[in-house]
Amino acid sequence: MINDLLIVVVIAQTLTAATPLLLAGCGELVAERGGVLNIGIEGLMLTGCIAAFAVTAITGNSWLGLLVAMGAAMVLGAGFALMAITARADQIVAGMALNLVAVGVSGTVWRALQSHGVTELPASAGFSRGWFGWSGWSSFNDLPVIGPLFFDLYGLSIATAGLLLLTWWVLRRTRIGIVIQAIGELPDAAAAAGESVHRWRWGVVLFAAACAGAAGAFLSIMRTHAFVPEMTGGKGFVVLALVMFGRWRISWLIAGCLLFGLADSVQQQLQSLPGSRALPYQFFQMLPYVVALVALAGLSRSAPGPAALGKPWPVSR
Amino acid sequence: MIRFASITKTFSGVTALAGVSLTAATGTVHGVLGENGAGKSTLMRIAFGLERADHGAIEIGSSENRTSSGPRSPRDAARLGLGMVHQHFTLVPTATVTEACVLGASHGLGLVDHAAWQARIRATAAMLQWQIDPDARISSLGVGQQQRVEIIKALLSVGSVQGTASPFSARGVLILDEPTAVLTPQEVDELLPAVRRLAAAGTTVLFISHKLHEVERVCDAVTILRRGAVVHSGPVAGLSTQRMAELMVGTTVNLPSPARQPVTGAPALVITKLSERANAPAPRLTDVSFTVHQNEIVAIAGVDGNGQTALVRCVLGLDRADAVVTPGIPADQRLAGVERIGLIPDDRQHEALVMELSIERNLVLKDHHRPPFARYGWLDFAAWRAHAVDLVQRFSIRGAGPAATVASLSGGNQQKVVIARELHRQPKLIVAINPTRGLDVAASAEVLERLVSARDHGAAVLLVHHDLDELLSVADRVLVLFGGRMTDSGWPACDRAHIGRLMLGVA
Amino acid sequence: MILKWAPMSEAIIAVGAATLALALVVGGLAIAGFSPWSVIAVGWAGIAGSPLRLAICAQEAIPLLMCGLAATLALRSGVLNIGLEGQYLLGAVAAVAVLTLGPVGSCLPWLALIAGGLAGALWCAVAVGLERGRGVPLVLSTILLNVIAIHVVGVCVQGPLHDPATAAPQSAMVPDGSRMPLLFAGTPLHVGFLVAVMLAVALWLMQRRTALGFELEVIGLNPLAARFAGIPVGRRELTAALGSGALAGIAGAMQVAGVTWFLSSDVRSYGYAGIAVALLGRLHPLGVIPAAFFFSGLDLGARQLERRLDIPHDLGDVTKGLALAAVLVAGALSRRLGSSRPGTP
Repeated sequence: MINDLLIVVVIAQTLTAATPLLLAGCGELVAERGGVLNIGIEGLMLTGCIAAFAVTAITGNSWLGLLVAMGAAMVLGAGFALMAITARADQIVAGMALNLVAVGVSGTVWRALQSHGVTELPASAGFSRGWFGWSGWSSFNDLPVIGPLFFDLYGLSIATAGLLLLTWWVLRRTRIGIVIQAIGELPDAAAAAGESVHRWRWGVVLFAAACAGAAGAFLSIMRTHAFVPEMTGGKGFVVLALVMFGRWRISWLIAGCLLFGLADSVQQQLQSLPGSRALPYQFFQMLPYVVALVALAGLSRSAPGPAALGKPWPVSR
Repeated sequence: MIRFASITKTFSGVTALAGVSLTAATGTVHGVLGENGAGKSTLMRIAFGLERADHGAIEIGSSENRTSSGPRSPRDAARLGLGMVHQHFTLVPTATVTEACVLGASHGLGLVDHAAWQARIRATAAMLQWQIDPDARISSLGVGQQQRVEIIKALLSVGSVQGTASPFSARGVLILDEPTAVLTPQEVDELLPAVRRLAAAGTTVLFISHKLHEVERVCDAVTILRRGAVVHSGPVAGLSTQRMAELMVGTTVNLPSPARQPVTGAPALVITKLSERANAPAPRLTDVSFTVHQNEIVAIAGVDGNGQTALVRCVLGLDRADAVVTPGIPADQRLAGVERIGLIPDDRQHEALVMELSIERNLVLKDHHRPPFARYGWLDFAAWRAHAVDLVQRFSIRGAGPAATVASLSGGNQQKVVIARELHRQPKLIVAINPTRGLDVAASAEVLERLVSARDHGAAVLLVHHDLDELLSVADRVLVLFGGRMTDSGWPACDRAHIGRLMLGVA
Repeated sequence: MILKWAPMSEAIIAVGAATLALALVVGGLAIAGFSPWSVIAVGWAGIAGSPLRLAICAQEAIPLLMCGLAATLALRSGVLNIGLEGQYLLGAVAAVAVLTLGPVGSCLPWLALIAGGLAGALWCAVAVGLERGRGVPLVLSTILLNVIAIHVVGVCVQGPLHDPATAAPQSAMVPDGSRMPLLFAGTPLHVGFLVAVMLAVALWLMQRRTALGFELEVIGLNPLAARFAGIPVGRRELTAALGSGALAGIAGAMQVAGVTWFLSSDVRSYGYAGIAVALLGRLHPLGVIPAAFFFSGLDLGARQLERRLDIPHDLGDVTKGLALAAVLVAGALSRRLGSSRPGTP
């Protein structure tokens, strides 16, 4: 069967592995274009993981889980915005505080769930593959090649593609994109045009948080159907690297995410090779991160990024 | 038409404007003259809605547009028909001309109709007889072009908010804040007729400046401010520049114009055929040769961005250049050695001073690692304090004592800290880049006098300066840098216009 | 990152932030039905209920203090080394290699500290090299190197350092003779505590009283002015970066040589916590000491609360994050108030 070919399996795995990165990366890209570097993406994704898991496990409704995951991440994102935008604290440190709180909160909720006997999702809950469960589509799953690569995907993967397209269009064709460019490059210009830099930066941060929350939900209630403490395992940090690798452009971000997803998929395949027992499995797990670092290093120096990235506004002396 | 009626504004007890009244008639260019701190900027900020007046009223266009204490915001000002071009441009470098105009001249979040915007930009430019490419990136434009974009943007913001088909409207008011500060003489010559054309089309222009001959050339009427009050208001005709200067400053000010001395000293800076490597970004320094001797001020004129930065970096030893020789000072000792160059950099707050640290620490910086300030790497703070007390007195730095932060000082006193640190050792060579930027007339004169007196005491001075008038008042020789190449203007045996042409590469 | 040396107001900010964070969490627990007094009493008993507990608290504070010093050195100099997490782990790996593969002897733990310091500095040097050579921002490279370091530990404890006596991914135990000597018999507190405190004082003197410290401060506040003042900024920043990497590496080495005596793939790192400690200590080497105790006390208190009252100990982490957030906001606000005094241009 053609659909069992290694190449098809690897590409399908790549798309699945790239989905949370694309989702969170899309949000972070918009935030960074708006001048806000949020290294707390990792924490926001983790928040999304636990919120989606908890709500889906308790109510059995995965849609509600997805929504609450986005909402919870936005609440923490608002905390970040309060620190980094309104109070003008250092963005990197504020992101670290966010990560600390997120680890603590997710651990607390996880232990509280455990003590109430909630440890796994009900079999019926959680999203399954195939276009948000529209059963009509599943008959296409067996089509050669395009079945696994197009129809047998998680609904959120397809929604992510739509989101990327929409974001690209908004950044390029509407005044929203022009204002975001201004608050990221020269906030004074946006302020002179009568736009509130703080309000816009709040907006991009909340958008990034919602995206990261959805990415977290993808990890817990779709891809793995479980929650494990610190299950994001550095993916939020990879997102930061990929946004930079993508030179703050949607098209390049997609390329970067697919490259990382491919590395992740290949290492999974390598682990299952017969001869791989000679090496510890952590060696293979490490590979995608090394690839990300090497890709960043291979990038030419000529991509400075938004001029006001990471800088609080207004600058006071 | 715009009318200010007894505008009063105080900042934490300090009066910035005391009952200022001013009327500019429709279709005229009205000059607003005054020194730094006279209140021009505050008045314009109130007109543009960036500040609110404590008392008074502003009337824009007609009496139904009368607002007590001014517009509430820049957007409100635009609604009333008032646009402003700030001295410091607010253009996003990565944006295109069209995007800059969309940002500045419209609001809302919707779809951008690029074709319509481009048409309006072209129409406005045509009206002013300018060539402008709506798709050009701001970063690819020169300063003069960027200013045109700012003016078009301001006009469009007024027109588009009013919803008129033409970007021009008879009741529109345009404020130009120090529009010629960054321009070359030739660019000024192109701007001023455009301002006249604007007025002819019915726009009221407020022309903020402290350059008297420009006011004389372009304005119909002028209002002169001193210390927050109007000292004169009336037509320009019949008002001599000498009289304007007296009204503006209060007393007659003479810029230092010492007797020129013949060049006799030994060479202190010798540059022989300095060229940057072939792949350096434009403008690439090419075959730059000149010598600065003791006892002379060699000034380098030029529009910003013609290689000044690279030249200074080579002179200071920040970039390696064997073609640059400073006799007696090894290249790696030029910045912090015992016999170092006295350096007054362009941006004192970022390049010379550590704003958060005390005056004392800023004064010892560069010498902090050698006796008596440090022994074997261990600091001696008593010596620091004695040094600071001495310099504060000798250079009359006025502030809250040596332990106060530099940030608490006024701009003029911050520059004095730099000058004290750099000149107290009587260096053989002094490099000064735009040393009076942002200072008022009195502080500028003091800085220039320090340079002249250092020259008279034997120093060689290399002065890179943006203000041609000040530069010519102290220079013994004037070299012009254009596109990375150096030309000797022959000053003082040439006229000002010749230097202006050299600065634009049209001589 | 811009701070003046004004110890009193800094201390007020830090203590205020810590108190606020504690009050928020205890208040939250009160709403959930736990009496605040019993929460505080149980938590405090977990920290200082006996001399032994106090010693444990001090022992837990050692890696936090060391990483806090590492972060202080880097951040004060404007070097955004947030790779302490990975540098700590590499230090631990190097120390375990020395201690388990080398001979047994009382000088071995000190050799292990040196090896750990070198390994930490080396891991940091990779990031600095990527920044200087390839333009990769330090923030990104160090963050990725942290993730990679976790996997390096995994590879090592399954590969070259694996204990053949077990199937679990862990190293052999450090022999008795090669462990860090104890400070007080009968407690687990080892002499590393003294070393860490002495390093804090040394760092303070370096920052306050030496030309190197002054230069690093100038670089941290305004690197461009430092450059124009003839300070070799690149070399000084390298010194600060490698120094902070070495301190983090020593922290990891101390922990395996003095506390855990072995390394496993789920080893805990103190790098991120160390940065938080440094910020709570207002980037003052002596302020870092109480901040480290605050964090270790939170850990111990939270564990006691979990044992006695069944409250998830992760609330300790929440408290840390809140304290960091509060100190950040308070610092930013005080800076703003300080800079908007009338008369300031």
